[in-house]
Amino acid sequence: MSKYILKRLLHMIPVILVISILIFGIIKLAPGSPVGTNLDPRATPEQKQLERTRLGLDEPLYVQYGLWLSRVVQGDLGKSFLYQKPVKDVIGPYLKNTFILNIPVFILAFGISIPVGIHSAVKRYSVFDNFWTVFSLIGISLPSFFFGLLLIYFFAVKIQILPINGMIEAGSNTTGFAYALEVTKHMVLPGLVLTIGSLASYVRYTRNGMLEVIHQDYIRTARAKGLNEKVVVYRHGFRNALLPIVTLLGYSLIFLLSGAVIVETVFNWPGMGRVLLESVTMRDYNLMMAVMMLYAILTLVGNLLADIGYALVDPRVKVD
Amino acid sequence: MKKKITWLLALSLVLSAALTGCGGGATEPAASDNVPQENATEINEAVEVVADETIANPAKNRDNAADTFVVGMHEAKGEFLSAYNSTTHDGYINKIMYDCLITNNKEGAPVGMLAESFEMSNENRTYTFKLREDVKFWDGTPLTAKDVAFTFTALADPAYDGRYNTSVFEMEGYDAYNTGDADHVSGIEVIDEYTVAITYVTAKADNIWQLEIGIMPEHFYGFEKGGAQKMRDLMNANEYMGSGRYIFERFEPKQFATFTANENWYGGEVKTKNLITKFTTPDTQMQELQAGTIDAQIQVPAKEENGIQLEDMGFINVNPYLANSYGYIGFNLRDERLEDKEVRQALTYGFNRNAFIQIYYNGNAALINTPISKVSWAYTDEVNSYNYDMDKANAMLDEAGWVDTNGDGTRDKNGKELQFVWDTYTDSRYVETMIPMLQADWKKIGVGVEANLMDFNTLVEKVYTEQDFDLYNMAWSLTTDPGSNHSTFHSQFDEPDGNNSVGLRNAKIDDLLERGSIEFDQETRKAIYKEFALAMNEELPYMFLSQGQDWDVVNARVKNFNVSPYENWTWHIEDVEVTN
Repeated sequence: MSKYILKRLLHMIPVILVISILIFGIIKLAPGSPVGTNLDPRATPEQKQLERTRLGLDEPLYVQYGLWLSRVVQGDLGKSFLYQKPVKDVIGPYLKNTFILNIPVFILAFGISIPVGIHSAVKRYSVFDNFWTVFSLIGISLPSFFFGLLLIYFFAVKIQILPINGMIEAGSNTTGFAYALEVTKHMVLPGLVLTIGSLASYVRYTRNGMLEVIHQDYIRTARAKGLNEKVVVYRHGFRNALLPIVTLLGYSLIFLLSGAVIVETVFNWPGMGRVLLESVTMRDYNLMMAVMMLYAILTLVGNLLADIGYALVDPRVKVD
Repeated sequence: MKKKITWLLALSLVLSAALTGCGGGATEPAASDNVPQENATEINEAVEVVADETIANPAKNRDNAADTFVVGMHEAKGEFLSAYNSTTHDGYINKIMYDCLITNNKEGAPVGMLAESFEMSNENRTYTFKLREDVKFWDGTPLTAKDVAFTFTALADPAYDGRYNTSVFEMEGYDAYNTGDADHVSGIEVIDEYTVAITYVTAKADNIWQLEIGIMPEHFYGFEKGGAQKMRDLMNANEYMGSGRYIFERFEPKQFATFTANENWYGGEVKTKNLITKFTTPDTQMQELQAGTIDAQIQVPAKEENGIQLEDMGFINVNPYLANSYGYIGFNLRDERLEDKEVRQALTYGFNRNAFIQIYYNGNAALINTPISKVSWAYTDEVNSYNYDMDKANAMLDEAGWVDTNGDGTRDKNGKELQFVWDTYTDSRYVETMIPMLQADWKKIGVGVEANLMDFNTLVEKVYTEQDFDLYNMAWSLTTDPGSNHSTFHSQFDEPDGNNSVGLRNAKIDDLLERGSIEFDQETRKAIYKEFALAMNEELPYMFLSQGQDWDVVNARVKNFNVSPYENWTWHIEDVEVTN
């Protein structure tokens, strides 16, 4: 097993390299540059040219890429043009905030969807199942920003029990436990939007995965053998239904990070999504590359975890 | 039968779900800083929203309501230091933390701030400032001439990488200091403890405005030549020292910044003890006003639906004033179809700009026909208003030789069709509203236009760097002095990355701009810019569109919140009071 993991990790390296070349190529080939929109309009064309040279934008693409790569392997992610700070310093706090919001969402979404999905599959077409089917359809169709604004209007403006937006109250000085409480209070609405959005699809996914398993022959055999229904479903059925769930878990790792852009904007949550969006609009290449590579690596890691999970859960799968 | 009904029901559910999300983002035309201001016409009085003081006001119930003024504004990046603030929003915060040598009054004329008085000499190339002697920084250190000298020298430093070198690069001795061995800038002279003289190479009437930079203390930010990075390091660590009305307390990225009143401010009492600038988004501005989490929101888009919501709240006052910016469509004068000014005028006559203003702004904007602001001293109302006249447009185009010879619906001449591509930006209701209107109006005069949308950054490169376009639209923001028209319309700036993207090369206009910038006699200057306004109105290198309103929206519990076109909310922040 450990040999397998090592092999996979080694395979990841050329994949990451190719991805970085592709991403770099695409964002550099897109028209537009940071110099036009970020400098003082009073700046003369000579000054704009000077800035372009300083940022190395005139070098051929492969040279720019080579420079970027050589810096990155030494641990230097470069300076963010927008923030005029090392990229590491810019990303750090925002990444933390995104995790604070998304990890509970992740746990909640899976924690609810798995039992619900299984129960829906087992009791197909029951009231419980129909309710969750309708819920899923609505949840998938409803755009997140619309839902978010609706929640804000109802809970924060009409009955005013939750804050409108942000991570903490404007001007708040709380520390320690009071601070944690305040952040949690601010997390409720955006967390709700994200959770419901994810729940909707996860429930369908687990339900379908479970349904496929339930109609298999070996389940019928287990029942015929006289086993307790609970054992049949949860020991024999569920363990096999876990396979698609594990895949989903692995891939979801990245969707939670990137899919939160809209929710972060509506709720003014200071997270990664908005930073990435801004860096793309303003053509902050160093920041863009760093964040996209982070996402790429996370996706690959998620895949790896899914594969390992597969091996652990499914006795038919052999790794060598 | 049952199946059919359920099918219909399902279809309608799906359709309604699909439509719930529509009507997405609406952003206003992006404006860049700089630009001279041309005034807009009268404010539409129909937008008066006055608060009812008697009804329940949620802002009063806020925990910190008694001594804190919360202002909602667009996110600031956190670059509050005079040398580095690069967005309008950071600029506001810089204004309340730092004081400048001069500022402008309501009419836009320069008045002394830190400078008790100033004189011009040396053929108007030198400004000698006599500083007040009672100004102290927040830590009690007196502000003296050396701090002024330090501030401008810092901007000339070889390692300085901010954008305000444009304020100093025309000073005497700049090159010798910035790229040479000089140990100071010869044009910046400390005469005595409270007197400082600044000399420019060329005398220009708007040089004075280049000196409107918040003075930074030498004892806090000082560095040896080449060490400008120190200023940035201190700023990144959120360590600030200024002399301004509000003392910096805390900055929470993307969330808010907090300040406390400077009790020792030289200009008098700062009435409200605490100030919080909360960073709001257009999505939730209204909700915040409604719930009272903010006491004011600046620059609320002057749209009808906002007006209605604000009126319904009841405890809100709206302060409308002419925005310091105008929108326009640029004609590429290098294109042989657009090089004839008769054609440009005809195209302008042929678009009902008033109708657009009615529909998009609900009348809360002014039609403009020249790049000079109505509230500016340089304005003249003798300009041609180019009111919509389809017949006149048709006649002018006929006369200019553009006729539809091949029956395809658009006029042509010498094999060229009057079929244009209009480059514009995505994600804007302003643009989306204008496109069909322009297409319809121009079709009636035999002109075709296709909109080509792209992201704003790409558009900037296409227009300014590559100069590859037929038409495009953007906006300019304006300053108090019409001298900034120089970099937008003088032929010298018709080069890649220059501001003269449309390629205007008019000898008469060049001459007026040159004379206007070096003229110091106010009456003569007025005459020059009046001629300029008329010339621009005649030449029409742009189709000037509109100048909108800005609404600064204030909760009823806030008193003395005074704004005007040349004085934004930071100008008299010390007078603002909150009641409970």
